[in-house]
Amino acid sequence: MNAVARPVEREETSAGAETVISGRNVGKTFGNGAVVALEDANFDIPKGAFVSLVGPSGCGKSTLLRLVAGLIERSSGSLTVHGKEIDGPHEDVGMMFQRATLLDWRTSVENVLLPTEIHRKPTKADRQRAIELLTMVGLKDFAFSFPAQLSGGMQQRVALARLLQTGADILLLDEPFGALDEFTRERLNLELMRIVGEVGATTLFVTHNIGEAIFLADKVMVMTPRPGRLAHVVDVPFARPRELDLQQTPEFNAMVAQVRDILGEH
Amino acid sequence: MAVSESAISTPPGGRGLSLTSKRILRHLAILATLLIVWELSTRLGLLDELTFPRPVAIVQSMYELYLVQGSIWWHLFITIAEVLAGFAAGSALGIGLAIIVGLNPLVRRFLKPYVIVLEATPRIAVAPLLIAALGFGWSSKVAIITLVCFFAPFVNTLSGMLNVNEEAHQLFRSLGANKRQIFMKLMLPDATPIIMAGLRLAMASALSGALVAEFISANEGMGVLLKRYTASLNMASSFACLLSLTALGFLIFRTMEAIDNRVVFWRKDERAATVGRRRAAAWHRKMGA
Repeated sequence: MNAVARPVEREETSAGAETVISGRNVGKTFGNGAVVALEDANFDIPKGAFVSLVGPSGCGKSTLLRLVAGLIERSSGSLTVHGKEIDGPHEDVGMMFQRATLLDWRTSVENVLLPTEIHRKPTKADRQRAIELLTMVGLKDFAFSFPAQLSGGMQQRVALARLLQTGADILLLDEPFGALDEFTRERLNLELMRIVGEVGATTLFVTHNIGEAIFLADKVMVMTPRPGRLAHVVDVPFARPRELDLQQTPEFNAMVAQVRDILGEH
Repeated sequence: MAVSESAISTPPGGRGLSLTSKRILRHLAILATLLIVWELSTRLGLLDELTFPRPVAIVQSMYELYLVQGSIWWHLFITIAEVLAGFAAGSALGIGLAIIVGLNPLVRRFLKPYVIVLEATPRIAVAPLLIAALGFGWSSKVAIITLVCFFAPFVNTLSGMLNVNEEAHQLFRSLGANKRQIFMKLMLPDATPIIMAGLRLAMASALSGALVAEFISANEGMGVLLKRYTASLNMASSFACLLSLTALGFLIFRTMEAIDNRVVFWRKDERAATVGRRRAAAWHRKMGA
């Protein structure tokens, strides 16, 4: 066993920061135990942290995200958000997917208002907030455009604004920019870091791109497949705000190599 | 905003307009030539006037039917009423049943074999049976058209209900939406384009259904009129009826297209732009007030 790949039993949380999401021996099997999607995951995520989940397909990263969202039920272990066991969809989290999943028949601002509409009739303040969020993601001038009139990158910006409109303090992002071209993705990643920093939300970011995972995160949860396992948690020490050229530094590349090593062993 | 609006409403210079009128003129010339050739061939005895009445004779009988006799209006009305009633009943049944089936996996399992068998049955073959059951009046006609109009909306609505975007569904669930909200705000609008496509198909077959039903047995309607004139070898009037039905079919097609464009506005760039501007105006009014 390599020294780098110490299996993490209980990650020590950074001093002072309150733990927002906590998993103890979390497991998920499908088909009456025939498929083990996630096995014995232990982790603590402190308030305001940006955590990347990285690993190849089938490593259980999306499963873990859906467990935290309460969209699927865990098969074993304990999983809490704000100290409460998760037992179904709850309002503490907002989700974003690889595809923008905007409603084609709604304008940008109407899409952003959807989370509010689910719970109550939107007030004037809600509407103002929606416009503010669209401004924040740089789409003020496209508030009344329909999704079909927007580029893929713009659609994801609307999805991001909609995510923020939920007011959730935990953001679950499942490869949100995975379907976009490299340039758009890099730009959106930078904006995502800025916006998440401004809002102060705790973020779980699923990706299969190691560089992206490290660049964005405070902690990288490295996951390996068959069965899905949380193999290691890597702390990312780089100061914020981060610039794109961070990715050219030897320190950054050493960290990429380290994560690649962990993944390669399994 | 005013600038973009005026840019859309004014045609780009006079050149486009003259191009269209040129095209129309060319088509008119071709049509006129065809009609003249037809007219002359019949007059010269090249075409049998019994099967190919002269265009002038068709126009004359049009005039007779619509402006002198006038009974064709009643037959037209009957056929249109049957088509609308059958279409409304058939599509309402189709959409309604598909929603019930789509939302209940259990119902779906039990109903599916019957739907497959029914779908394999040629609809028109049921027409004589329906007439035998419901009589020669309008109710059997409406029943036949209902049957003809049922399947396309049913199949399309069902596929719309079953093919909801999985991620969008998860999004709604993660937002804490209840079943009713998921249906009203996601499934139904998401299925609207394919439902509309089903309705257009149904409407397209409704007129044919009505005519076949009237051919089989009826006392009034365009099918009866057409059959009567053909049987008495009054071909000019038969052609006049046929032309009327063509016009009716075209009108129905265009109406459905216009409704489709309005309902499914987000699939058409121009409509989407218009609706977007309207919603922006409404929004600003609301925020200003």
